[in-house]
Amino acid sequence: SLQPLRAKPIPKSLRASQRKPREPEVASSLIKKIFSHYAKIKVARDALKIVEKCTERYFKQLSNDLEAYSKHAGRKTVEMADMEVLLRRQGLVTDKMPMHVLIERYLPLEYRKLLIPIAVSGNKVIPCK
Amino acid sequence: GGEAGMKRTAPRATLRRIIRKHKPELRLAANADLLVHLSFLLFLHRLAEEARTNAFEDKSTIIKPEHTIAAAKVIKHFKY
Repeated sequence: SLQPLRAKPIPKSLRASQRKPREPEVASSLIKKIFSHYAKIKVARDALKIVEKCTERYFKQLSNDLEAYSKHAGRKTVEMADMEVLLRRQGLVTDKMPMHVLIERYLPLEYRKLLIPIAVSGNKVIPCK
Repeated sequence: GGEAGMKRTAPRATLRRIIRKHKPELRLAANADLLVHLSFLLFLHRLAEEARTNAFEDKSTIIKPEHTIAAAKVIKHFKY
């Protein structure tokens, strides 16, 4: 099914973004939705701009940390164990707040199904008991 | 709890792209990005609660930039 190479007409609105690829970032609409949901009170537009900036820095820090943890374990791939170390360092996972509880609390069912068996076997919770 | 009503689809490809931007050599195991999303949600949760506390202390009914900046400063492992 060889087709002649023909430039598809690109709508004007898309052309600008194709010329200059955007930096990958979480959509500001999503940041706004999540932050406002947790804030429970009105959030000024300027305040959301700060949250966006914080988010960028958060991911930069997170990338550094994940690299350090996986390197420390002699790997180039971030495994679930590294993610648990990260959440523990952030004070989110503790002895009283295991990772799977956070997963159950914050992530929708479709993602929980993907993570819980992995998290449990990675933790060796079942074999140890 | 209290998550009902919020659409919670993770921007999985975007999260992977962001990490690749910072660390091009780093690979993420299958589904590790979902835990990145989890940590991001918890980060925003903390930031929002802290900012709201600052707004209340300021007798403000709306979260202003200064409340958010102050909130970011007190969150551990994160320097604004």
